Amino acid sequence: MRPALTRRRLLGGAAASALAAAGVYELVDRLTDSPVRPQVSGPLAEQHLLEGVQVVVDNGVEVLVPPLHHQVVTARLAVDEGRSALREAKAELEDVLRRLDERFQPSPAGLGATVAWGLPYFRRLVPGPAARHLPVDRRATAARGKRVLVLEDAVRFPSDPAETILEQNDVAVLLRSDSLEHVAEGARELFDGRADLFRVTSIRKGFAGGGFGGARSLPKRMAMAAGIPGADLIPETAELFLGFTSTQKAGLGPPRIANVETLGYSDLRPSAYFARGTHMHLSHLTEDLEAWYLNFDHQERVDTTFRPGLAVAAGTQTVAQDPDDVQSGAEVGKDYERFRRIGHSGSIQPSSRLDDDVTGPDGTVYPRGTAVPHRADFNTLDNPFFWSADPVRDGLDETPAAGVHFVVFNPTADDFRRNRLAMDGVMPDGSVLPFEPRSRGQGFNEILRTTHRQNFLVPPRAHRSFPLAELLR
Amino acid sequence: MRREGLTAGVAAGFAAIALAGCGGGSDGAQATAASVVTAAAECPRTWLAGWQRIADRVGAPVYCPTWMPDPLDGKIDGDYRNVIAVDDRDRSYLVSFIWLDRDAGGVSSEVHVNFRGYPGSTRVPTCQETHTVKGVTKRRPIPCFSDRRATRRVGGLDVDVYTVNQGIDQWHVLYAWRRDGSLYTVSEHVAPPYGFGRVVSNLNRMVRGLVLVEPAGAAGSG
Repeated sequence: MRPALTRRRLLGGAAASALAAAGVYELVDRLTDSPVRPQVSGPLAEQHLLEGVQVVVDNGVEVLVPPLHHQVVTARLAVDEGRSALREAKAELEDVLRRLDERFQPSPAGLGATVAWGLPYFRRLVPGPAARHLPVDRRATAARGKRVLVLEDAVRFPSDPAETILEQNDVAVLLRSDSLEHVAEGARELFDGRADLFRVTSIRKGFAGGGFGGARSLPKRMAMAAGIPGADLIPETAELFLGFTSTQKAGLGPPRIANVETLGYSDLRPSAYFARGTHMHLSHLTEDLEAWYLNFDHQERVDTTFRPGLAVAAGTQTVAQDPDDVQSGAEVGKDYERFRRIGHSGSIQPSSRLDDDVTGPDGTVYPRGTAVPHRADFNTLDNPFFWSADPVRDGLDETPAAGVHFVVFNPTADDFRRNRLAMDGVMPDGSVLPFEPRSRGQGFNEILRTTHRQNFLVPPRAHRSFPLAELLR
Repeated sequence: MRREGLTAGVAAGFAAIALAGCGGGSDGAQATAASVVTAAAECPRTWLAGWQRIADRVGAPVYCPTWMPDPLDGKIDGDYRNVIAVDDRDRSYLVSFIWLDRDAGGVSSEVHVNFRGYPGSTRVPTCQETHTVKGVTKRRPIPCFSDRRATRRVGGLDVDVYTVNQGIDQWHVLYAWRRDGSLYTVSEHVAPPYGFGRVVSNLNRMVRGLVLVEPAGAAGSG
């Protein structure tokens, strides 16, 4: 019998050790080689964009190869309130980030570090500047008849359980690299020995990588090594635990489309302080792989992942998601009428794809059907986190569990909200497909459980450290 | 239990017979001891009578196990009997054994094995999927066994391995094979204490130990 792995799990007060501890994820380096990455230029104005991401072709579809290792660290701030303390903190953090920029190129071969700030930070520490400079979501404001900022508190969605925790972190840092050591070094530099700045609340780790060359994929290997129930049933080369590729180039927003300024959804305010920034949603979901693979056959998995009745060859994992493949709201409604079922991708597309050509402020033309969300989600065996400062509240469990740390960049919180509601059958035109929460007709909504959610604002690189603090009077 | 959210109104065959669903059916019996019968060339003496009755009733050979996963045995009228059903319309049969371990208000462990036979038919049977939303019901035919993962040679039989199955075989791994114009299956539930790998191992051992029981009056057995 294969022994189940256990992870190094450190409890309260030991965040510093957990930051660099690899645990089960050390296996990622042993089980796979780093992809060949193109050279890149210097850091972009956007923190959330990674350069040098490799593109491969699988089943005739262009697929992006994401970084192998991912880590998110969330924290509350330990900084004293007040202008001088915040300015000192801002300088200290920016200094660390600048040194990381100098040491690592902003690509999977180096290190991507994205610093995102939650509403508790803006409300508590920089309320005055926030009132003047946080962008306003014009589209959401018009739709709801009240002023809506690009950053809102996260909400529970119809398919979320009542236990889903809506978090109140001040800051989240996303670290991405093909090198586990680069991620560990970034985490150490940012958080180790900085109790004057941060009280770390959680550490979340994971990995990504498909078997596009035909070899057994990382998710399959990791799930097997960890003894996850249902691991035997994951297809050999699957990019994700659920058996399908999700990083089709056409299914991910192109660079800068998720910037707050690009699609014109937002009033950036006179200062345009957050131009070249974006919104980030962070959540954790568990996946019941046995339920997925023992109750949904391949065609039903295709139906509910993409769209009902989609004809693909048996065993297909990579499905085209080009603009021509996009479903309209009316088509999703017809699927519901005909099959009592909607596809995950198909249901989101009416809100996640452009319904007309858009020209961005830099002159880039984004054709109709282009995807807007810029996803950075990754597989995890955390249950639900690698480490938590409040293991009881967070439901920390030693047993590895298949899941996703879902990270996605949208132009606004409302844009994410629209997409997520569509996944539950609440369409952008306001029509509601009357599913029971987590019903089988919603496909993998039935086997997913969201444990935590929070929204963040990602400032541009120039303002990534304690945004707006320099404007305090 | 996890499966409860996934039943999806699938109606298996044997419409006139109340089937005990996987984990939701008859108590069977609480296990008191493992009952392991070593592989043998013939149906164990204490199990034979029950299997002979099935063979006689369907008028076709049936497969008797000589080994069952702990704690089950293969005695049709024994402690682990769950469902014994014959559909007189097509002579198909279902023999189901179950052991349930209950704790505070629920089932914590379950060992559940189903044997089926479809005399005179080699086709995968059709089940019905039912969706009811706001009082409107939609039904569609679906195969009772799907997601064939592999075909393996086990104990001299070419078995197809199915991992998505309906009705009382839901959440089971199912082995199906054809013999002399008939389809036969054995399935086991993937549930604690047995994960997927152990269930496959159990199925391999069960299939390797199967022996044919001919209906009375038929020549030979093997």
